[in-house]
Amino acid sequence: MKRNLINFLFPLVFLLTFSCLIYIFSDTLVHAFNPGHSVFPQDKKVDITDCQEWTQTVRDFNLKPGEEANRITVLMYHKIIDDQNIQEGHYQDGNSLQETIVLKSEFEKQMALLKKHDYVTLTAAEFNLFMDNKIDIPQNSILLTFDDGFKNNYQEAYPILKKYNFTALNFVITGNITEKDNKYDPMGQQYLSVSDMKKSCDIFDFESHTYNFHQRNEDGKAYLVTKDKEAIMKDLKISLGNISDNQPLFSYPYGEYDLETIEVIKELGIQSAFTVKYDDVRPGKDLYEIPRKTVFPNDTIVDFMDKINLK
Amino acid sequence: MIYATLVLFSLFILFQLLYIFIPLFSGKGRSEGIKLLEEKEFSILIPAFNEEKTILNCLQGIVNLGYSNYEAIFINDGSSDQTMKVLYEYLDLKPIQRTPTQIGQHEPARGFYQSANFPRVFLLDKENGGKADALNAGIAYSKKSLIITLDADSILAPDALAAMNTSFEDEKVLAAGGMIQISQGFTGSHIKPKPVFNLPGIIRYQIIQYLTDFYLHKTTQEKLKSITVIAGAFGAFRRHALLEINGYRKTVGEDLDITLRIHKLIKTKYKKHKLIFVPQALCYTECPSSYKALFSQRFRWQRGFIDCLLHFRKSYFTNLGFPVSIYLLVDSLILGTLNAYPTILIPIILLFTKNYSMALFFLSFTFLLALFRSIMALLVAGRFGHVYSRKDLLKITLFVPFEILTYRLLGLVFVTFGTILYFKDKDVWNNVDRIGTNKQSYGEGIMLNRKEVG
Repeated sequence: MKRNLINFLFPLVFLLTFSCLIYIFSDTLVHAFNPGHSVFPQDKKVDITDCQEWTQTVRDFNLKPGEEANRITVLMYHKIIDDQNIQEGHYQDGNSLQETIVLKSEFEKQMALLKKHDYVTLTAAEFNLFMDNKIDIPQNSILLTFDDGFKNNYQEAYPILKKYNFTALNFVITGNITEKDNKYDPMGQQYLSVSDMKKSCDIFDFESHTYNFHQRNEDGKAYLVTKDKEAIMKDLKISLGNISDNQPLFSYPYGEYDLETIEVIKELGIQSAFTVKYDDVRPGKDLYEIPRKTVFPNDTIVDFMDKINLK
Repeated sequence: MIYATLVLFSLFILFQLLYIFIPLFSGKGRSEGIKLLEEKEFSILIPAFNEEKTILNCLQGIVNLGYSNYEAIFINDGSSDQTMKVLYEYLDLKPIQRTPTQIGQHEPARGFYQSANFPRVFLLDKENGGKADALNAGIAYSKKSLIITLDADSILAPDALAAMNTSFEDEKVLAAGGMIQISQGFTGSHIKPKPVFNLPGIIRYQIIQYLTDFYLHKTTQEKLKSITVIAGAFGAFRRHALLEINGYRKTVGEDLDITLRIHKLIKTKYKKHKLIFVPQALCYTECPSSYKALFSQRFRWQRGFIDCLLHFRKSYFTNLGFPVSIYLLVDSLILGTLNAYPTILIPIILLFTKNYSMALFFLSFTFLLALFRSIMALLVAGRFGHVYSRKDLLKITLFVPFEILTYRLLGLVFVTFGTILYFKDKDVWNNVDRIGTNKQSYGEGIMLNRKEVG
């Protein structure tokens, strides 16, 4: 009798104890077992400050009256994957590519088109001044942006951008930066390494896409909307510290934000923030709700021309 | 890096869970293990090298056995102290003739004697040759079909042979290990010893360790057919099995070696036969009470382990069974030696990678696991009649959490230095076998009444 009671109680207490332990440490464990969320140390800095000085250059475009732009397009990319590397896992529901993917061949065509029509990619400083109506920029100005900071941006997009002498903003989830340089794997969620960032900082302007808040809660709402102000402030501060960002720009994960989010980024001295609202950008508009146009995997070159208002 | 640690940690947890839960649900208790059966015949072999201080205690255990069908052979392995004289005087020895069975090689005998006081007790005097050599000589001169090996500093409980007798009722049992208790942990007569915990930390640590190693580990290993060692202090074998494998090999780890060779014998010839652990068969042994003696003992164990590990390198998974190979290579080698002490190494690795909360998690996890394991060891010990008083239980409760974080770390030192010493003095120690074992005199903790003898 006593023996049976112990045989029942001991495993029960054992299970309860270890369940409590695992519950207490659940956040830590989720990080450890989810390689996409391997954590870049909070206090660590990617040393690219000198290499990013170009982002603050402002060119004189020598425009004649009537040549200045009154609206421009900001394009948004996530992953650029080589056509040869496309696998079943890159598809969603059967036959269409995941929305965040653009084939390398398409990207190459799009950049070639931009070059052919003498497009100019703006620096962060030029873009901000244009938004403030402080400088004139050519009508064929464009801002290229990448979200999340995937390794394929360095592997596939970087050489093409370099070839055409273009630059781009790259919004990095800094908590996902890897200290070790892993072998490139076109499948899965592989993020930029410190070494990738150092090698591509001449073309990419690295900006914050949060440290570890590119997440949704159980109800599917973005952290930037659900978490309290202090937590958001803390997370963004860490991310800005990781990339030593002195003139920070920002893009909202999932494009979700609220008034409180905007208060936080203003307090942090962030100059402008990008959404995923599909529209052209006109100067004088709200700097914290800048629209962007997503480039989709099935966009034809005509769709693309339409996006950038090229007739 | 993190994956390697996780794999190691998972393996560690897996083995710990087996050690905790298999004994909990194993059906044995004290009363089930000892039955009044017809007495099978035993030869008890006691190799003795310079054991003048402890040999009479051992003898008391033997003459107080509640069993009659046995012979006990003390083997004086060329002692340079008074071992021979002490026995000679106490036993009133008379030379007799006995023809030895041929078994391997052993140093020549100087004489064979029978006691006039205790006709079941014999003495084999021989040239020094080490413990394995002495045991081989003992096997050669023994006459009974079941062999008990007993250390000269160990004392058999009165019903130990009856328990072994019950176990060997099963024809499939080729060898059996007894339960080794630490004699300092008992008080009162050795007919009815009472466990106590009012002892120095170094002995408390070993008591908890022995309870865990035997009641949990050996029980689990028996269930999984993977008893890797029948402790040299108290084991039982069928004599024909020992003869078939040509006796003991000269090595520091002769008990591990003979156990593994019995496993080979099972694998090749006696399929379906087994090795078992008999928790009801008790023997009391004195544990080292100084750090020097403890380190010396554990270094010796580790060197013996490494020696056997290399000696059997071609046998794993072929003529050593799968469970034994797994236990030896994974539990003993990887978790026990290569990783030295997962509980401490993993958090250190994590601290270096600055993953502090993960380190804290691993530390808490291993600490709690160790705590539950010790509780389970005490629970199972209680089922076999090893029950502490309330006052002692309180002492244990306070001691164990402290011990997990302190004494238990000694294991790291034992395996690390033991391994280093093995490779350093590889050629030296084979012949200096028993020298360096502890030769402690009995402390005040044990009060076995010598007057009861006879």
